[in-house]
Amino acid sequence: MQTDLLLSVSLRYWQDFQDTLAEVVDANIYVFDAKGNIFSSFSKDVAPCKKINQGNTLSNEECINFYKGALVSLKDKNILTCPYGNRLYVYPLGSSVHKIGSLVVAPKNGKITPEGEGEKSFIAKANNISQTVNEVLKAILEKNLLGLRSLELNSIYEISRLMTSTIELEKVIDLITNSLIIIYRANLAFVGLREDDKIKIAKAKGKMGELLTGKEFSMLHPLMEKVFSKVEPSFLSMQELQNFIDFSDLKMSPEDKILLYPLWTSVGSVGLLGITFPTNAMSGEEIKNLQIYVNFAAISLANARLITRLEKEAETDFLTGLYNKRSIINLLISERERTIRYKNPLAVIFIDIDDFKSYNDAFGHVAGDVVLQRLAEVIKNSIRKIDIAGRYGGEEFVLILPGTQEEGALAVAERIRKSIAQHPFPHRNITVSSGVTMAQEGDSAHSLLERADRALYKAKRQGKNCSCLI
Amino acid sequence: MSTPAEEKISRYESLLQEMWTTSAQYLGAFSVKLLVERVAWEISQDYKEMELLYFDENGISCAEIANAVKINPDIPIDDMFMKFISKYVEILARLLGYEQTNKIASKLKEEFPDFPIDPKEE
Repeated sequence: MQTDLLLSVSLRYWQDFQDTLAEVVDANIYVFDAKGNIFSSFSKDVAPCKKINQGNTLSNEECINFYKGALVSLKDKNILTCPYGNRLYVYPLGSSVHKIGSLVVAPKNGKITPEGEGEKSFIAKANNISQTVNEVLKAILEKNLLGLRSLELNSIYEISRLMTSTIELEKVIDLITNSLIIIYRANLAFVGLREDDKIKIAKAKGKMGELLTGKEFSMLHPLMEKVFSKVEPSFLSMQELQNFIDFSDLKMSPEDKILLYPLWTSVGSVGLLGITFPTNAMSGEEIKNLQIYVNFAAISLANARLITRLEKEAETDFLTGLYNKRSIINLLISERERTIRYKNPLAVIFIDIDDFKSYNDAFGHVAGDVVLQRLAEVIKNSIRKIDIAGRYGGEEFVLILPGTQEEGALAVAERIRKSIAQHPFPHRNITVSSGVTMAQEGDSAHSLLERADRALYKAKRQGKNCSCLI
Repeated sequence: MSTPAEEKISRYESLLQEMWTTSAQYLGAFSVKLLVERVAWEISQDYKEMELLYFDENGISCAEIANAVKINPDIPIDDMFMKFISKYVEILARLLGYEQTNKIASKLKEEFPDFPIDPKEE
């Protein structure tokens, strides 16, 4: 049950009800929340109270402190005398397990003779008021809770439908973080994805979220081992989280709680989901419903990751990590269209390892594979981020250089050739020959590659370990 | 001829539509629908007429609220809509960050200078 009356009960409707009840029973009534803060205004004009507080709302500091001190620890009904001598009949609201506030009933004129006949009959009236208020409050809270559950379950249903049909990882992560903040009123929500023995925060939204995105932590950390040793969520204090990820910039209220859900699927853990919220803001029921949501999130993330991996594998050369032949042709088609549209230059370089067959024959294919991997590294380190490198086949590599003129392309080919010639490959030195060409009017991806290939063979004919332009 | 209250509701409807469209560019229509659903439910605790707000993936309609105002002109439409906008912007700021939300708010204020749409920095 919510302990914050302001979050659970409409003050606007409550005040109307309270005023009507006060009118009927001819007594002053007002309500405080569980922390002893005023919730509703006085229902009747009680002369001293109205004068002291200059209106119907509690504002006098002495009165405020008196109620705070007296009501927070109130366990059972009691009779109090306020600092201004008024007799007050106070009752805890809610159940014995969940106190949600306090009710104050006071005589209309503020004064009553203690333990006299008048007080006895007023106490009987106040007891009835307390019972009515408690029952009405219970009905309102139950109705609100039902409404909230219905909203929450409906949202979970809709999200689960969408998540299981969404395959883009980014979209799935966005959907998860957005819905956690919207449905569960989280101050901060984040999704961490497992990468080998690490968890990397893929996205964090909410208070300080931008500072958390990208942070990494080891799965071997005792805290993570604890989180992943079970299916249920783990509770952490904000201090524990700050210490754990060494993140003193994450300034949250010390009263905030963090809930970490491990994301499990049948093939193991895919990551974790974390949300922070003020203490007591989430009920046990909400935490259980969130578990249903988390199970869907785990499956969706696992599916989206699998598809992302398959897509990446389909376009990547397994040995070198560069683009494969199919991707390089597709990318060249796109780049060619772009250069035609924007009238920008486009250069293509074909690179071939000189005498690679003899290297393989002499030192074996495993050593040959090491050469291909290291050579790919040299190429990657010699080009800009916007350039594209791929393994075309065997020992042939293709580079696509958007926006690069003839001299620039030749310079890149020469830089790579020299770097490779100086690189300490296993067993012996390696050299490459390069064919460079520029996109011309009427060129297709195929004709460009064909001309770069001709330039390459010209370089081979010129004695290898050189670059030629056609 | 429409009454001042109807005109006012029509202005609020245009503003909510614009808020929906602009937020959907950043969050996607699904998250925006979820957000509107959540805020409408919360505001309906104080203003039952908010239950009459109609919305689906295509946007928002205040037609039923306008009909309710014809029957009961005392409905506090300004309070109700302003609380809706304030709550919406508060959650939007959590989702998009203060700076992005402020940009959206500034853009909306150009078109709707008479409505206070100010995100609070957390």
